[in-house]
Amino acid sequence: MQMGLMGASLFFLLSVLGVCVPLILIASHTKSARKLAISLILTASLAGCAAAVLGFLRQSPPLLDLSRITPFPFLLVIDRLSAFFLLLVCAVAVPVTIFAVPYFDLHYSEPRRNWTWAFFSLFLLSMIVVVTAATGFAFLAGWELMTLVSAALILIEGDSEERRHNVFIYLLMMHAGAAAVAACFFLFLPYSHGLDFEAIRTASATIPGPIRTAVFLSAFVGFGTKAGLIPLHLWLPRAHPIAPSPVSALMSGIMLKTAVYGFVRFAFDFLGGGPWWSGYAVLLVAAITGLLGILYAIAEHDLKRLLAYSSVENIGIVFLGLGTSLIFLANQAPLGAALALVAALLHAFNHALFKSLLFLGAGAISNATDSVDLNELGGLQRRMPFTGAAMLVGCCSIAGMPLFSGFVSEWLTFRGLLAGSSLIGTKAQIILPLMVGILALIGGLAAACFVKTFGVAFLGRPRSAGAEHAREVPLGMRVGLLLLGACCICIGILPGLLLRPLVSLAQVLIPGAGVPEETLSIARIIPWIAAIVLGTGALAALLKRRERLARTWACGLPELSSRMQYTSTVFSKPIRFVFARAYRPDRTVETLPADQPYFPVSISYRSVRTTSYERVLYRPFVEWVVSLAHRLRRLQTGNIQIYLLYIFLALVSLLTFLRFQN
Amino acid sequence: MKITVDILQVLLLILGAPLVRGIIARMKARMQRRQGASVWRPYAELAKLFRKEDLVPPTSSAVFRLAPMLLFGATVCVAAFVPVVHASALLASGGDFFLLVYLLALGRFFLSLGALDGGSAFGGMGASREALVSSLAEAPFLLGLVAVAILASRADLAGIVAWTLQQSIFNISAVHVLAFASLAMVALAETGRMPVDNPTTHLELTMIHEGMVLEYSGPRLALIEWASAIKLHAMLALLIGLFVPWGMASGDSAWGIALALLLYCVKAGILMVLLSVIESAVAKMRMYLVPEFLGVASAVSALAVIFTMLAKR
Repeated sequence: MQMGLMGASLFFLLSVLGVCVPLILIASHTKSARKLAISLILTASLAGCAAAVLGFLRQSPPLLDLSRITPFPFLLVIDRLSAFFLLLVCAVAVPVTIFAVPYFDLHYSEPRRNWTWAFFSLFLLSMIVVVTAATGFAFLAGWELMTLVSAALILIEGDSEERRHNVFIYLLMMHAGAAAVAACFFLFLPYSHGLDFEAIRTASATIPGPIRTAVFLSAFVGFGTKAGLIPLHLWLPRAHPIAPSPVSALMSGIMLKTAVYGFVRFAFDFLGGGPWWSGYAVLLVAAITGLLGILYAIAEHDLKRLLAYSSVENIGIVFLGLGTSLIFLANQAPLGAALALVAALLHAFNHALFKSLLFLGAGAISNATDSVDLNELGGLQRRMPFTGAAMLVGCCSIAGMPLFSGFVSEWLTFRGLLAGSSLIGTKAQIILPLMVGILALIGGLAAACFVKTFGVAFLGRPRSAGAEHAREVPLGMRVGLLLLGACCICIGILPGLLLRPLVSLAQVLIPGAGVPEETLSIARIIPWIAAIVLGTGALAALLKRRERLARTWACGLPELSSRMQYTSTVFSKPIRFVFARAYRPDRTVETLPADQPYFPVSISYRSVRTTSYERVLYRPFVEWVVSLAHRLRRLQTGNIQIYLLYIFLALVSLLTFLRFQN
Repeated sequence: MKITVDILQVLLLILGAPLVRGIIARMKARMQRRQGASVWRPYAELAKLFRKEDLVPPTSSAVFRLAPMLLFGATVCVAAFVPVVHASALLASGGDFFLLVYLLALGRFFLSLGALDGGSAFGGMGASREALVSSLAEAPFLLGLVAVAILASRADLAGIVAWTLQQSIFNISAVHVLAFASLAMVALAETGRMPVDNPTTHLELTMIHEGMVLEYSGPRLALIEWASAIKLHAMLALLIGLFVPWGMASGDSAWGIALALLLYCVKAGILMVLLSVIESAVAKMRMYLVPEFLGVASAVSALAVIFTMLAKR
């Protein structure tokens, strides 16, 4: 077994997360055992961060070869791309684990709590394996484990009929996606010696064009399913909101990014860019995903569903950057390709931070108020100032506000699109700058969406008794939230910290790329802007006069009630009205009794959104599969002679096949 | 020397902003056959508000208190991007128009949050409408600027202005016309002027910006009003700098700059006359016509971007 110090630390990571923690938790139910397990998870995550940073700096990537003890080639390598995503996984895992300690304590009783932690640890392990795997089998094993363990974590929370149905859809779509991912690997088989990444990389230069196209397409579909690109996003708003909040944070924050990792690995590292149209295809799907994702998000009033849809939107922005990069690659413009790739990777990192922050915040809210329905919240900022401050940072970041992390990556994406105008091809010259408009619309709607989210949940008056009596959450949860919030501000004001390594990563993936000027200029200007904005703001604060509490203007009424405030639903109504064609809700109005339409006893109104995909795309497909299955059932008669005939026919056809092949 | 001019430009945008408001109000009054108040009145109003005490709703949080400061800071920072008398700006290197647009968005983000923190229906209403208008205005705003940036093959505003200065005034392309049209429409929406929003109304059916600031008083209201005046002035200066920059000082001799300042005042005066004519002649649109108005702006700006292909050859 060949491994250096780094390999050893990777081995430590795997064995702790995969073996020690689950064993400790299953063997012993004492409090000290759990404490030991949790501190092991934290140590492993920190060790993972250290391994990622060191692996990034090393010239020869550290590796860990476990092929002797596993039945198939199992090799882990931390090259630059893996190191970046390993850092992403481990850096987010630390605050989420800290948050989860009090959260799981409050939510689960003894045996379930241990199971949750055991699966939590396995979930982290699976994602670490996925981003560091260097053989097809290791990758697929991690990929599969990731799906199954996350499904288990969702089912631990409860097992109602609806939840099982949602998990079923989740598993179904994940396996369809996994089949496409497996196909990507197996398409390489005839041309390479094995499925380790090194062999695939060398083989990719020799494979014929149609196979390259097939690999690209199945990678796009397979990883797109995991990433939640529309119309393959169906599982995402079903599975993410029903998981426990720390798990939602891991799923939305990290698990989606493993799909981005996989796509970058295939499209950039292995294939070195797809066919000429690939960038446009990715760009188109990404634009639709971003736009529809944010439109659906803004219409939601369930905080966790809103966040899930906004994940769809952000994945759209990431793929917008990747598509731009592919177009630049196809036009032999490595500098622009590097810029767009850096933008996409940085946005993936930022999204991991602020989305896990927001999901943890949703957990804190549900902990304090027993609700994540925005229409029942309000006034939480005065009751939970720490959670509120962290959530405000998260909302500003995700809305792409300057001085917060999301802005830097959106700005780089904008500049990547603008740089498209200098390309030679007419198509790219027009399409890329026009995409600025789409991204601006997405950004504007995201700002509206998160003004609504923060404003309705944390500001104004409480809309329910739960929100009225909310208390600040325990220390551990606050620490987790504030750590993530601090990271968002840090990247937002000092983006150079991450941009410099990211540029060197892009230079590895895109040979011949220099350092994009934009990555330097943003790192130079943002601190100045922060100084001006905050300095002027502080100066303005000096003008403060005496403050007096005075009742809100109520048009002469004696008192305002919380029912007079704008709710989440009303706030988003103008936007929903303008974009009504994107929603097409199923509305049902029932008047009882039916024979007296003008003197109803009760009227019930129900509106279900975003079912058009199911109606137009999924339902027909499912019906086709079911009818096919019905037709195939005729083969199964139960008659032994018929089965013998099948065997005989199979034998004959095999023999003829062999005869003609020689 | 250059840095002095740059700082002077920022001060001009910030300190001259209330005067722009005063002049427009006065012009509008004269067009409507009213006497009108003095052009210096906005300064007096700011001074009055800064002396008054601050009334704060009992349900509000720190966000309500901090929002005006951040809005003011972001708007002042926007002023540092815009060239006025000289084709340079304080934040010229690396400071491009995406930053400018998003800094405006930052201010608006916090103002909307402050509005929601008041806990009344008006704040929510204003914030909700502002969310609609601004989310639709962002695309034409950026696309219009992108079109001009492609022509100049620069992204920083000072660079674009410097490039335009070198062109002949008779060499205006269709791109400039289209981009100007879309940016002018966006400017009306961004600064809350007619026909998108009525800056003088306090009727709940029509107000957007006024609805958001209803709960503010004293120094905080003064900061918000000042910030929106700066925004209006910066938009005027931006339009002038991008589309009619001729006459800006090229060297840094004091005379050249004084002349450029004079020319700037004339150009700004013409734009202000246009604005007051529009505001006097056009009625406010229904809320749901605003998306169509901005849709037209988006289409025009998209055309401007497409036409850059032809203009380049």
